Amino acid sequence: MIELQRVGLSYGDGPKILKDVSFKMEQGDMRFLTGPSGAGKSSLLRLLFMALKPSNGLVSIFGHDTSKLGGSDLPLLRRRIGVVFQDFRLLDHLTTFENVALPLRVIGQKPDDYRRDVMDLLDWVGLKDQANAKPQILSGGEKQRAAIARAVVSKPEILLADEPTGNVDPVLAKRLLHLFLELNRLGTTVFLATHDLSLIKQAKGRALRLEHGTLKDETL
Amino acid sequence: MDEISAKPSAIIPSGAASLRTMTVTMTVMCYLACLAIGALILINRAVDDWTHGISREVTVQLRQISNVDTEAELLKATTLLQSTAGVTSVEALDRKASLKLLEPWLGNTNLDELPVPRLIRVTIDEASPPDFEALEKNLIANIKGASLDTHRRWEAELARVAHSLTLLSWWILALICGSAVAMVVFAARAALDANREVVEVLRLVGAKNSFIARQISQRFLITGLIAGCAGILLAAITFLGLGSTGQAAGNGVAAASFSLLFAPHGDVFSTLLVVFAVPLIATLIALATANITLRHMLKAAP
Repeated sequence: MIELQRVGLSYGDGPKILKDVSFKMEQGDMRFLTGPSGAGKSSLLRLLFMALKPSNGLVSIFGHDTSKLGGSDLPLLRRRIGVVFQDFRLLDHLTTFENVALPLRVIGQKPDDYRRDVMDLLDWVGLKDQANAKPQILSGGEKQRAAIARAVVSKPEILLADEPTGNVDPVLAKRLLHLFLELNRLGTTVFLATHDLSLIKQAKGRALRLEHGTLKDETL
Repeated sequence: MDEISAKPSAIIPSGAASLRTMTVTMTVMCYLACLAIGALILINRAVDDWTHGISREVTVQLRQISNVDTEAELLKATTLLQSTAGVTSVEALDRKASLKLLEPWLGNTNLDELPVPRLIRVTIDEASPPDFEALEKNLIANIKGASLDTHRRWEAELARVAHSLTLLSWWILALICGSAVAMVVFAARAALDANREVVEVLRLVGAKNSFIARQISQRFLITGLIAGCAGILLAAITFLGLGSTGQAAGNGVAAASFSLLFAPHGDVFSTLLVVFAVPLIATLIALATANITLRHMLKAAP
């Protein structure tokens, strides 16, 4: 489902951010990505949701070499991937409900078709009462939950998350972890980048540690 | 909890990248287009009227020749013309009427001494006109000092002028359309730049370029429609103003402008149809140009 072979990445003529990174994930796998700030975690995630192309090596998603993808294939593959961004990327002019429903709207679903599902999801992440609120008045934790809800609303096959518990208290972090574990149990491939080692320990998960652009496989 | 609105908000915020400047400029262009179309219609109508009048009539001229009884020749010519197939009426102008025709050029002075040619106004059947060549030969052979003026030279000259003015109007319309396209291209680029963040999020959640382009170009549709309607309104006010200021004084432009709006001219419906095509074309230009530009830019963007 996800395969990286000797992947290198640099921005322009700059230094290598990633060096010879290789790993593979099958359907239903769950991996954590950890490492110090600036190690290249976000860049690796950007490669996985095809916002970047590798400088060298192979990045294969759903069996497609991402460096060879045409413009029309990219949106169709991205619809199969849910992404939680570190900075949430919520649209300020849309309500929480509309932000969460955005991936469904993009694929042509009508509000009547998705209203109930989106409200159920908002209820599940504890944002039902904030459905009509704009992101400006949401707290950091609420924005984080809205971003997670948006990433999973279309039931993606792969879920990528960049520090998904970075702005929430330990209780909510644990609840979100359970959400990710539940999604994974239902067959979603989950890849989480986090600084929070306790989260990895709670999940008894397999972690990849990124340091100075190189990857090490370890179990905490 | 408040009810969720049945109609979701626009994905592209209306506040970002205001199209106000474009709406104003587009309105001016639509206004100019309406004026050009109005001028085109008036030119065509005037030329139709003139050429219709000219082609319906021919003139026989009798030069005064010494020792020739002009009045007798005039009578002979009238009889000859009346018996010619294709001629519907013949009217010989008396000397006074002929002199009156010269007044605009020669003034009101005593013209009695001048050997003014006599004129015969001949109305012809437009459906089956006479053989002008044969008629001219017949007149020259039988009437002393006679010549036939079919006005064809004037008609050709008028047609040439009208053709040039028509081409000029079309050229102006083409320039207006070209400028509108260029303006929409710039505005579409600005709109995309102003909504870069939204576009990025849309792409990351799997939106196709066509979907994004459609969301942005919808705003251009409304702009085109508003500008087109405002342009028509301004043009109508202009024609009304032109019509009401000089009509009483017998001003031709004023009467023509007024007739464009109110006169029960035969093709007033088609005139209105042509003018109302302006907002439609403005909308199409705005929508299609914005959509093509956006798709092109989104395709080129990483």
